[in-house]
Amino acid sequence: MFGTSLAIAQSGSLTGQVTDSESGETVPGANILITELERGAVTDVDGNYEIANVPAGTYNLTASFVGYRTYRESVSIQAGQETVVNIELRVGAVGLDEVVVSGYAPTTKRELAGSISSVSSKDIQDVPLQNTESLLQGRAAGVRVTTTSGNPGGAFRVNIRGTGSINAASEPLYIVDGVQISFSNQSGQTSTSPLNAINPSDIESIEVLKDASSAAIYGSQASAGVVIITTKRGQEGRTRITARAERGVRSLDPRVDYINGSQYLDYLGEASAINAGFSPANQETFQDAFNTQRDAYENFFINSVFGADPNSPEGSPQLAETNWQDIIYTDGVSSKYNISASGGDDQTAFYVSGGYEDTEGTAFDTDFTALRVRSNLDHKISDQVSGSLNLNLSRTTQFGVCQDGNFINCPVSQAMFEPIFSFPYLADGSYNPNTRFGLGNNPVAVRDEVDRNVAVFQIVSNANLTYRPTNWLSFSGLVGIDYRNTQDERFDSPIVRPAQGGFLNFANRNLNNITMNLTANGRKTFDNVHNVSGFIGTEYRRRYSENQFVTGEGFPGTFFKVLSASSTPTTAAGTNTEWRLGSYFGNAKYNYDEKYYLSVTARYDGHSRFGANTRWGFFPSIQGAWLMSEEDFFNVDFISELKLRAGYGTTGNSSIGDFSARGLYSTVGSYLGATALTPTQLANVNLSWEEAVEVNVGVDFEALDGRLSGSIDVYQKDNNELLLARPLPGDSGFGAITENIGSVRNEGIEFEINSVNLNTSDFLWSTRFNIAFTSNEILELPDGEDIDPNSTTQSLRIGEAIGAIQVPKWAGVNPADGRPMWYDIDGNITYNPEQSVDAVDYNNGIENTVGGFGNTLSYKGITLDAFLQFSFGQWALASSDYYFTRTPDFRMNLEEQVLERWKQPGDITWVPRAVESGNDFTETANFRTQLGTNSFNNASYIRLKNVSLSYSLPGAVTDRLGIGNIRVFATGINLLTWTAWPWYDPEIAFSPTDIFTNVSAASYPTERQVNAGIEIQF
Amino acid sequence: MKLFKITKYLLIAVVLVSLAACNDILENVEPATSVSGEVVLSTEGGVNALRASIYSQLRASFDYTTEYFIGPSAFADETRARPGATRFQGLNTAIGTSGTAHLTSFGSTYGIVNDANLIINAIQEGVLPQATLDQYRGEALAIRAYAMHHLVRAYGYEPGMIPSGAIDPNWDLGIIIRNTPTIDVADADERARSTVSQVYDQILSDLGEAKTLLSGITTPNTRVTEPFVDGLTARVNLYAGNWGPAAAAAQDAITNSGLGLVSTADGVAGMFFEDQGGHPEAIFKLDVNPDTEPIGGSNVNSGLAAYTSSQWVSQIPTNLVIDLYEEDDFRLGSFVTDVDGNVITDAESGLREYEGGWYQPCQNDQQSPIAPVGGCDQVNDEGLSTNKWNGGNGNLSDDIPIMRVAEMYLIRAEALAKDAGSVTQPAQDALQELKDARNAGTIPAGALTSLESFETEVLNERVRELVVEGHRFWDLKRTGRDIRNPDGSIKMFYDSYRILGSFGAGLLNVNPRLCENPGYAEFPVENCGPQ
Repeated sequence: MFGTSLAIAQSGSLTGQVTDSESGETVPGANILITELERGAVTDVDGNYEIANVPAGTYNLTASFVGYRTYRESVSIQAGQETVVNIELRVGAVGLDEVVVSGYAPTTKRELAGSISSVSSKDIQDVPLQNTESLLQGRAAGVRVTTTSGNPGGAFRVNIRGTGSINAASEPLYIVDGVQISFSNQSGQTSTSPLNAINPSDIESIEVLKDASSAAIYGSQASAGVVIITTKRGQEGRTRITARAERGVRSLDPRVDYINGSQYLDYLGEASAINAGFSPANQETFQDAFNTQRDAYENFFINSVFGADPNSPEGSPQLAETNWQDIIYTDGVSSKYNISASGGDDQTAFYVSGGYEDTEGTAFDTDFTALRVRSNLDHKISDQVSGSLNLNLSRTTQFGVCQDGNFINCPVSQAMFEPIFSFPYLADGSYNPNTRFGLGNNPVAVRDEVDRNVAVFQIVSNANLTYRPTNWLSFSGLVGIDYRNTQDERFDSPIVRPAQGGFLNFANRNLNNITMNLTANGRKTFDNVHNVSGFIGTEYRRRYSENQFVTGEGFPGTFFKVLSASSTPTTAAGTNTEWRLGSYFGNAKYNYDEKYYLSVTARYDGHSRFGANTRWGFFPSIQGAWLMSEEDFFNVDFISELKLRAGYGTTGNSSIGDFSARGLYSTVGSYLGATALTPTQLANVNLSWEEAVEVNVGVDFEALDGRLSGSIDVYQKDNNELLLARPLPGDSGFGAITENIGSVRNEGIEFEINSVNLNTSDFLWSTRFNIAFTSNEILELPDGEDIDPNSTTQSLRIGEAIGAIQVPKWAGVNPADGRPMWYDIDGNITYNPEQSVDAVDYNNGIENTVGGFGNTLSYKGITLDAFLQFSFGQWALASSDYYFTRTPDFRMNLEEQVLERWKQPGDITWVPRAVESGNDFTETANFRTQLGTNSFNNASYIRLKNVSLSYSLPGAVTDRLGIGNIRVFATGINLLTWTAWPWYDPEIAFSPTDIFTNVSAASYPTERQVNAGIEIQF
Repeated sequence: MKLFKITKYLLIAVVLVSLAACNDILENVEPATSVSGEVVLSTEGGVNALRASIYSQLRASFDYTTEYFIGPSAFADETRARPGATRFQGLNTAIGTSGTAHLTSFGSTYGIVNDANLIINAIQEGVLPQATLDQYRGEALAIRAYAMHHLVRAYGYEPGMIPSGAIDPNWDLGIIIRNTPTIDVADADERARSTVSQVYDQILSDLGEAKTLLSGITTPNTRVTEPFVDGLTARVNLYAGNWGPAAAAAQDAITNSGLGLVSTADGVAGMFFEDQGGHPEAIFKLDVNPDTEPIGGSNVNSGLAAYTSSQWVSQIPTNLVIDLYEEDDFRLGSFVTDVDGNVITDAESGLREYEGGWYQPCQNDQQSPIAPVGGCDQVNDEGLSTNKWNGGNGNLSDDIPIMRVAEMYLIRAEALAKDAGSVTQPAQDALQELKDARNAGTIPAGALTSLESFETEVLNERVRELVVEGHRFWDLKRTGRDIRNPDGSIKMFYDSYRILGSFGAGLLNVNPRLCENPGYAEFPVENCGPQ
């Protein structure tokens, strides 16, 4: 515009060298940043840096490098002069001057008064995970991350500070480099996550805005917290290339123990003899009856049910002994290759990367591949105008399997449902049709004849233009695109679907999610002590999604898997939906002499989802901090920094149906070819957001010369105006109307600590630890009435937690006859407990204590990092195991616990006598389906989440080779788990939006992966 | 210069804010598979879709299909659960405080009623030609009457039928009358129950208006027509004890429908198979496309055939039903014998071959290696299941005949006799005409001796003819008879409070003006709010 040449004449430059404060050695690769200008450089091989053309003025300069405390100094640049600043970095943990991304403007940890957890690239560099959510598990205090499916690329339930909603989603808002990511319209064929698009190697940091005072800047989308993912950027300096390759194995451990065939026949023989009236007390007659019945069952199974094992010796047919778990779960191979280059000059900086990954899961042929490329460009057009372009393209594919639930064609349920006596193939090699659910559900037929292919193409991209008319003010505009195309393909060959001649189901799903915003950002200091900064902005977001579904039946064979080969097209369907959000927001910050901090934030959101009367909502917050250690009176020597902070704010939850406020007629089938429309929803012009009000109080501290640092946060979060159905008189034709009624409270304490325990010239030992406690309580429900008050696992009762369990108390087994017993509400033994009368409160599904514990040891280029993650307090029902593998009703596998069963009068045990089916006990509730306190197990666990060992070749060697650095490493995830949970996986969450988390049903378990690789830097 | 700068920033700020001045942007978002009420009620396409909804809801609702047709049989003595099968086993045993609420659904009924009310009262003027509008309103009135009658017989006594042993000998409450549509949440007000006679008056008035509006419209039988209105008028009057009008309306239905009784062995055997007879006696049938139009969400789980002749094969006709037929009755069919009179067994399936009628030996199609269909012989001696609901057209669901002309002969027979106070010749003729068509012999002499014995014979003929078509429990209730088990033991006395359904806590909590029926202890009648 104008004044450009003037600016050059008025500018100077900044140079210097960065060294280690103890050894005096130079530090190459350190980041130097002039905070106000957001301009920086990276030190070269000799630790030198230079930043040219800096307008004259006084600035805050920071220098940071992995493993060192961030250095901070105020510098004055004189026009036409070179200013030299040499910097000594001190080894240490995260300091208060670390830059964090907390919203529409970066800030320093010093300024923060809310609650934010950070995970940086160094914490995750050797973690071989497929997506971003899993990186948060155990690493961010108060963030509960639960695997909902262990298949590679599968989804997670991420819960920040407890469940605050009942009917609206309680997933956090994810933002990648300013682009808000949508989680809707995902694959219907397998468990997946939109964050699979982001290469974990490209991530610079992840910030989790946990409390309302931090998150309020995102207004109506923020009540479940905000996760901000920032990717790596180039810095001025030499071009650096990093290449990395790794390979590994993925496996499942442990297995569930089922009884063998002989034990199974014993069990049935015993059950049958007892049912025939023989008493086990009379050993002789009982043994005869047992033998007869056992033989009868064996013959019945061979002749009428399962058939003989095709490998039986000639003329003597035998039952098969098939370990289906071995067939269903096989080890997978994983390989991953990444290359990245970054660098730049004083005008342009770049970070480009490309990566390919192929990871096989264990169940059937599950597989995840990802091809991802990224280009992050920053360019300074003039002294006043700069721009950036981030482009991330990804194509991920998954070969999926069906997931949670007692479905007869899902591998995990098949591993329990398919009994030891059935077998995969007949003697001629064809599929055995006499498996538990017939040929179409023979596990090997499902494995080989059913394809579930998911291909996802994603663009996560943004362009940003900044105009900085003076050094205290800037205007910035951003356009962000989150585009996702998902192609789901399910092919069932004619072999498994003979009646239809096979079918092919194809779904094409598009998601267009656009974010645009404009902000004005200012920062100014008056009289050297009054620091004022802030921004105002406006934003528009639109999410539009559409689907098309096509199905064809009648395929000539398995060789053509395209719709054109089908003889009969059967389905053609499609739909679309959208929402729009318009916002204004602003933030004003003031601090006095960097001792007293005050920040006020507000956002005003208008959302198309809400009623005409309540379309716009206001979300304010305030936070303040006192850096006590800066006071003159503070003279505690071993504490270098102490900050007290408090925040209060309001956020909203708009995650409801796109048209929940409208009066709607919807399609309800058809009649005589005419589509039918019926009123399905009454309008509620007052329908609005759920609202979260949160108070957060915290302390940050740093002691012992930065060797020890940490924080404590205490919060109380009330989610009010919850969207719940208010029942209407049924004769109106409507059962209920959705209204803003209801309230839930979450409270908790979070604690994070980092320490450098030992630091000699070549040995470094550092530790990180975090733990979070939480509790949940329902405060208010429609008309003061509990919802499903008698439900075992899904009751919503005022004063109780979401996910509370209530179930009759288990009383063990009657020693006289082996019948199961329960207690009634009065404490008397009963054989027929009644849920609505006799159930007692018994634990809940909340992980009330979670956290992580990591240690890093380095010695002369060798680094060992071990990270443990833990979860306590959650109780759950393993419903499939419980309903199907404790009695032989359906001839499915039986768990080994039945070996502990009651066998004769006087036996004291907790497993009832053998039964042919769960209702064999006379006048006793069905043991298979009657739940008791014995049906719920503690799902607490401690998991060795990640161990990595790496070795960097000495500089002398790499120098001679002309290479920057070579590092070899071995790393593993989920290596060991300590838990009392007797089945595959104690991570219990049915789906990413499960609010009860107290029931699992044949969930795809978390897998173990061990990789080894090499990383070379040029 | 400075002023210029400030102006420039101001301008940028204005642009920034105005870009998002966007309430308009937020307004123009519309759903793809739903539309607003104004669109439906003010366009021809919308009204046609609403009309389709009434039929579609009847078809899709479990309460108006499988439960409607099989429930009253399972709840009385016509069917019992096959050992090992559980569908409707609860109705068979019906212990505890369960009442007839099992056989109907408050929610489904009023959903259909609200659709009908929209068509009757809320269509904007001029959207449809008058004749079309009349026809649609006639259909809606008839279906409203049909649904309300189904509900009132579950929750109230028939007019004048309060048993002497009832808890409250003056108990005459029926159901809530809804004859205005719910368009806004304010319309969903709390209402009290009307008396049984008020409800019957409303139903008969609806039917009277429907007959006028549908006058002369007699086809197709996949929609409500004048003959269906006649037939329903006959049925409702029969329940109400208006014998003369019942008999007259039944005759109108026979005449106006132009349908005759099927009278050949093959014709009778095939009449329920959509791909064979295609329901030749149906005055009104619901058209079902088995591939796309499920019942209760899934034909395989919830369809009529799934309950009776395939999939669960759960409710099996009892000996009481089978034993009522004469040997050569077309409706029963028979085992195939060789020249020596021995029953032929199919070599492959091991099944005894059966021919004709509405029955067949229990299917032995193994659904899985360990769950063969067996045990029907523990419900009836011959091991037969009924294939009236057979899903012959595929996917376990055929068209559903809601009302057949055969019922009209039975209504005529009963109503003519009761109207005259004696077993008159016209009454006998009506019954005999049906028997002749079915090759079922003549009316036993004993049945002609008194009005009561004739009523018994008509009820028996209704079992033979209308088994699993949704009548048995209601027939016993409307005639004041006790409900018995197939072996004759008492299941539920007529004066038991359980003969009326219970609304239950869910409905009563929401609407304090709704009165529970007496005897259901949790909500005593005294708790009813202002009426």
